[in-house]
Amino acid sequence: MSENENITNLKNAIVDGDEIQAPSHVKEALDSGLDYKVILNEGIIKACEEIGQLYEKEEYFLADMLISGDALEAAIEVLKPTMEQASEKSVGKILIGTVEGDVHDIGKSLVSSLLQGQGYDVIDLGTEVPPETFAQKALENTPDIIGLSGLLTASISKMRETIALLKDKNVESKIIIGGGVVSKAACVLIGADDCAKDGWEGVKKINRIIKLEKRGVS
Amino acid sequence: MPHDWVQSALRLMNAMSGRMRKVDRVPYFALINEQMLCRVAGVTVKEMLSSPEIYAKAVIGSYEFLEVDTIQIPTSYAGPGEALAFAESNDKLDTIRWYDYKPLSIIQGAVCKTEEDIDKLEIPDHSKSSIWKISMEAANIVNEKTKFPQMFGLGIWSVVQELRGVQAFKDMRKNPELLLKLCEKVYESQLDVIKNWTEKVGFSPMIMLTGYSFNKHMMSFDDAMKFEGQFIKRLQEKIKVPFVFHNCGTTPYFKEVCKEIDFVAVHGSHPLDLDYWIKFKEMYPEITIMGANIDVSREMLTGTSQDVEEKVRDNIIALAPGGRYVCAPVCCLPWGVPLGNIMAIPRAIEKYGQYPIKIQ
Repeated sequence: MSENENITNLKNAIVDGDEIQAPSHVKEALDSGLDYKVILNEGIIKACEEIGQLYEKEEYFLADMLISGDALEAAIEVLKPTMEQASEKSVGKILIGTVEGDVHDIGKSLVSSLLQGQGYDVIDLGTEVPPETFAQKALENTPDIIGLSGLLTASISKMRETIALLKDKNVESKIIIGGGVVSKAACVLIGADDCAKDGWEGVKKINRIIKLEKRGVS
Repeated sequence: MPHDWVQSALRLMNAMSGRMRKVDRVPYFALINEQMLCRVAGVTVKEMLSSPEIYAKAVIGSYEFLEVDTIQIPTSYAGPGEALAFAESNDKLDTIRWYDYKPLSIIQGAVCKTEEDIDKLEIPDHSKSSIWKISMEAANIVNEKTKFPQMFGLGIWSVVQELRGVQAFKDMRKNPELLLKLCEKVYESQLDVIKNWTEKVGFSPMIMLTGYSFNKHMMSFDDAMKFEGQFIKRLQEKIKVPFVFHNCGTTPYFKEVCKEIDFVAVHGSHPLDLDYWIKFKEMYPEITIMGANIDVSREMLTGTSQDVEEKVRDNIIALAPGGRYVCAPVCCLPWGVPLGNIMAIPRAIEKYGQYPIKIQ
């Protein structure tokens, strides 16, 4: 199988959400001596971009995104040891969770798997995360970005409380709030750096912030 | 002056039927959940739900204080209460989360974690469920004291998502038959709860149906019809009362769903573009719009009372002439929204919403 064919098969397997074939294509590519950077950039990240485009064109929906996310995670799992051997740093470190009093985790789980699939180091705190836990984990891990997720209208006030505590503890990470209830105005009001109405928008914004930070623009 | 609930009920029903000669002003509909009730009444959720008298008193006091034209028990909705009933009847009480000042909920996906959980899932006997018993008794007290008919809420996908969590979406592609089996059980449970409600409280004059699957960012319209829409149609065949379609999501399929399923009203706050609602009214002149673009997490949360008043005025100008418009912030009035902004709604209705509408 040619290098191109292998990468195309990997990309298609991820887009189709095939969590059996996707890791097996990564293994084949590595066994054939393909550079892990090619596998990551041309296979995995390109697949992620295609999934996003399909979502934006309303050809893919949450269900498709989630199963593609699973295939992405399975693929990156096989690639990880090679990346670590090559002392490849993670793309960025993200701390994410649904705020206290909110049990909804679908958007957060989607962001978490799509980011992990792109080589991010994601610390997923789960749901109903108290402000104190966010602060403690942020101080321990110094993430680039902290994502606060919530679906309930009531979650906005908990996001505000969490952000206030993070700032009080001098956490310097950028903070993104996500969920159907968030808005630009709410974002400004509670002191977040940015907001995302759904999981895919969250992924795009996180990618943009990380790229800017790498270029030294904050 | 005591709140005239009979007049409120007539105002709402006449405005929704387009009998405008009998309507003095735009009706005001709001959903007040436990978060607000507890604060207004000064009790915790557990205290409130410990006695139908305390619960009913908190409901009546809060709705009257906030000058709303409608009144209902927040748990008279087969959403979180249904998930709780499923947790109770399937010995999964540890999945229930109680909060002092917020609605109780269950851990998403914990009741139906596996395929076997779905196969063995017992449909609750609502006559024995603790939450339903207290809700129905409280609704009876509210009914008796206000004479305002008590409306009931149903919803298929909201319960499916509570029971199965994120896995429900993966099942749509990987195991749709399993997911349909769960939808079927939720449907059967909804029939049981409405049967109980009718026996113990009386006929619900309308059903508020939460169609949460009908959101573009969640699923295609075809999938929403498959996993929720077909069950809504079956519920309508069994329960012969008008249905109001509620969706507080940000990308709802309002226009599309009204082509496929009969609703007397739609209740939502998105899209935020008022032109969408003007076109909706042209497209469906017989369907009442409850809400339009007054969203509790936008101007109401971050703006001033003047901003809220202007938003209500704009909605009234665009949608109230001719009737079949009910002013409604969406979704539940949350704690954290300034009281002045909440009270700006009835003030603005009083100022701009008198029929015939004179403002331009």
